[in-house]
Amino acid sequence: MPAEVRQEQSPSNQTSLAMMQEPQEIVEETVTIEEDPGTPTSHVSVVTSDDGTTRRTETKVTKMVKTVTTRTVRQVPLGPDGVPFPEGSSPLGSYTNSIDRRFMKNGERFSTPQATSTLTRSYNNYSDSYGETPEGPYRHYGLHDGYGDLPDSYGSLSRGVNYRPRYPYMASSGYRPENSYTLPIRKDDYSHVAQPQVPLGGTVDLNRSQPERFQAEPYGLEDDRRSLGPDDDEPYDLESDYSTANRRTVGGANHGRHMREPPRVRGGYEDPIEADLIDDRHPYMPNLYSAPLAQAELGSLASLDRMGPMGGRRSPSADSVRKDPRWRDPDLPEVIAMLGHPVDPVKSNAAAYLQHLCYENDKVKKEVRHLKGVPLLVGLLDHPRPEVHRKACGALRNISYGRDHDNKVAIKNCDGIPALIRLLRKTSDMEVRELVTGTLWNLSSYEPLKMVIINHGLQTLTNEVIIPHSGWEQEPNEDSKPRDAEWTTVFKNTSGCLRNVSSDGAEARRRLRECEGLVDALLHALQSAVGKKDMDNKSVENCVCIMRNLSYHVHKEVPGAEKFQEPSTNQAPGSVGPQRKKKDDAGCFGGKKTKEEWFNQGRKNGESEKSYDTLDLPKRTEPTKGFELLYQPEVVRLYLSLLTESQNYNTLEAAAGALQNLSAGQWTWSNYIRATVRKEKGLPILVELLRSDSDKVVRAVAIALRNLSMDRRNKDLIGSYAMRDLVSNLPSGQQRPAKNLEEDTVVAVLNTIHEIVTDSSENARSLIQAQAIEKLVAINRTSQSQRETKAASYVLQAVWSHKELRNSLAKDGWNKTHFQPTATSQAKGTRSNKPAYDDTTLPLMEKNQGNKKSISGDMIPMDELDPDGYSTIDQKDKDCKYKSGDVSSDLAEREPLKNDTNRKQFVRTNRPAVNLVDTCDVKPQPVDSWV
Amino acid sequence: MSFIPGQPVTAVVQRIEICKLRQCDNLILGFSIGGGIDQDPGQNPFSEDKTDKGIYVTRVSKGGPAEAAGLMIGDKIMQVNGWDMTMVTHDQARKRLTKKNEDVVRLLVTRKSLEDAVRNAMV
Repeated sequence: MPAEVRQEQSPSNQTSLAMMQEPQEIVEETVTIEEDPGTPTSHVSVVTSDDGTTRRTETKVTKMVKTVTTRTVRQVPLGPDGVPFPEGSSPLGSYTNSIDRRFMKNGERFSTPQATSTLTRSYNNYSDSYGETPEGPYRHYGLHDGYGDLPDSYGSLSRGVNYRPRYPYMASSGYRPENSYTLPIRKDDYSHVAQPQVPLGGTVDLNRSQPERFQAEPYGLEDDRRSLGPDDDEPYDLESDYSTANRRTVGGANHGRHMREPPRVRGGYEDPIEADLIDDRHPYMPNLYSAPLAQAELGSLASLDRMGPMGGRRSPSADSVRKDPRWRDPDLPEVIAMLGHPVDPVKSNAAAYLQHLCYENDKVKKEVRHLKGVPLLVGLLDHPRPEVHRKACGALRNISYGRDHDNKVAIKNCDGIPALIRLLRKTSDMEVRELVTGTLWNLSSYEPLKMVIINHGLQTLTNEVIIPHSGWEQEPNEDSKPRDAEWTTVFKNTSGCLRNVSSDGAEARRRLRECEGLVDALLHALQSAVGKKDMDNKSVENCVCIMRNLSYHVHKEVPGAEKFQEPSTNQAPGSVGPQRKKKDDAGCFGGKKTKEEWFNQGRKNGESEKSYDTLDLPKRTEPTKGFELLYQPEVVRLYLSLLTESQNYNTLEAAAGALQNLSAGQWTWSNYIRATVRKEKGLPILVELLRSDSDKVVRAVAIALRNLSMDRRNKDLIGSYAMRDLVSNLPSGQQRPAKNLEEDTVVAVLNTIHEIVTDSSENARSLIQAQAIEKLVAINRTSQSQRETKAASYVLQAVWSHKELRNSLAKDGWNKTHFQPTATSQAKGTRSNKPAYDDTTLPLMEKNQGNKKSISGDMIPMDELDPDGYSTIDQKDKDCKYKSGDVSSDLAEREPLKNDTNRKQFVRTNRPAVNLVDTCDVKPQPVDSWV
Repeated sequence: MSFIPGQPVTAVVQRIEICKLRQCDNLILGFSIGGGIDQDPGQNPFSEDKTDKGIYVTRVSKGGPAEAAGLMIGDKIMQVNGWDMTMVTHDQARKRLTKKNEDVVRLLVTRKSLEDAVRNAMV
């Protein structure tokens, strides 16, 4: 779950302090409070949904989190009399100040209007500024009988807002709202705007008062039912001017509460209150956005309908709108217009509100796009104020999330990607970095943007995030211990982004491989994960997936790869790998004889074992670095550790896929990899994973085993020890096994079996002993899947081709007809239904060619297999359900889209290790359960 | 630890108390079991008597809670929190060990070395 954006968490305190020093500026303070976990949560935004296309990247704010009270104080130049200059150069609108709670609690004390002594400092400030303000009006409020009658409505703090004394503001009637962003209704009300209420002293108050209990959230999502206890019972006879002043402040922060007041208001103070209400909702102020505006008739609510996904969490303002039709939220065009407002907090709040509106609401996202909101937001990314670019980035992240790729394209079209990268370079604020990388992750899920991200951001992402967070150091300091990776959100987001872009075809892979430090850092991070046994998290998953993707086609794509090719197994060892090998030749192979023994003599167990064991992997005089690390035999241990320890299916699949990719192809390194997997006792680990409950893990493992069996010794071992597990993954006829594997997986398993039994009658015998013939025949005859049928048919033909087995097969009641392709399966064998799997991460092209030469078995009509039957490379145009249609995509394409829903505890069942199994033993295998 | 039908089974047992380790949502003990009355006892590499259908410890993860508590590969589990484990199916044993609401399991186990030690002491 990448992106948790917490609007409220913004560490804007510093910012606001800084701002306070500037006169005539809005002072915004955000106070972060631990919120009581019991209160309802506010979702700022978060997506957990796994739509096929993107990772959830929106943000969710749970309410246990910190809430922030935002106060915005506008300091207005005061005239000599303490009244603001009417034409205030600053667009001050209303002032919103949140009252600290203590303050509120004290409300009771204001039982008499005159009780100035009980006033908190802010009140005093207020009176300082407005010393000349007649007390009369205030008293008037306090004395009003109506308050006494008003029941609970008084309990809410925000109510106070409405009761703000309005008289002083009359003086500023000349004030002219400076811009068109004000909501239309309001316009005539600006005369009442009361900046003066926030006297200079207000800032002092800000510093001193930390709201304790009452937390307003900028989006107005807070529970509007929350009211201060004491006040609830207080008849509002305390509604003195002083107390109203205080309340009003609170109201600023508690925008949501405004709603409740109207009824009361109407009762007692119609006109004046009306005016006050308007004051409070000056559109420039943050609270405005959640504050209801008079004028329900604007009907803008429809466009702002964001309630859906949030379930119980309704914006109080919406609720109140229902209660009181006179108020409304700003509509979308208004909010977007505010993004261009000259005053920074207005921008940032507009952006924050947009983020909120866009949360899980594709309609609003689309509308924002149509209203040209995206370029505005992107423009704000370069804004110097942290508050502004942070919120803009938060909004962009939500907008970029979802299936609607047009939003992503819109961000790209206004150069949003370079802007995000710039911001990443510029900022050191973790939250902003999380937002930027989260946005990039979202963007990276759309094919056409992948290369753009690579072009603009690859090196920056690597240098700014991947390398520092991985703990890798380019030039390790001898003294210092190697650092561990930190699984931060930023790292997770960035690795997710790179994971997505790494699937964008050969060019993308090349760029990533050659990106300085990337492979080194990823490997270091993974090694650190293995060391810490912390392998189940998303970051690890992302890293393994990147490694897997980068390992795809290494044997073809890596610079100089052609020098390592081994077109046939008989190639003289000295001729391989000239450049790195020259110095290693002796050490590597120790002469032709050893190597040939090792490679070709699989069948003679003793000898080949010996020669294998003495096989030296290349020795290096200098440490490998960069992409070469991808295919060094050392990585085998890393992947095997992951396969052994990780509980995350995606990680398991990716690790198996990496081995699969590395063991494919005919080049020197894949030979080493295949041997190393065996040497590191990786085969039992892989075979054990055949029992995984996860379809894709089984598939990846099966294909990896198939590639590994290109090594003759591996083939024998796999045939002896893995056959039963392979067969157990096959459905029995139409009846699916418990696991109910997908067609792709079944086909992959069948192909692996085919590979293993081809040219090995012993393995074919194992297959027969595993009672697979019955299953194969059943699949061949009855499977609904043409691909399964065909794959099973090839296995059967391969079995039948071992003439020495026919007798025993006949004894079991099988005859030739069972092994011949059925008419239907032949008919089905169209080019588009190749027997091979669709898994495109399996580059077996060379292998296929190599095998054709070396295969001695004459039985398998390889020509009947489609020429590329074994190659998975050219099958991209096939109907692969995972494919988005982009032929350049790999398997990894679907990787990034997967969700964690399938991540569950992976329990390896059954017996401990394959080698406990006697191949001839047909008894049920012992079960072994981890507890 | 073979037994004669009709005779009470005697065994030297050791008490082992394992505090489960919380891994994400799962409580783990860090060992694996094999055997059970529904399993093929002949394939149990740890039992002396190949007809013994008891529950045996087949693997102990390194550094895990079970290892810390002294459980060893090949131990035969006699009881789990007082429940008999000598006549249960594999799954029953597994479930008994993996109760979500129990943070601690107390095992009675027996192993050959224990029996030998006792026998030697008596000699």
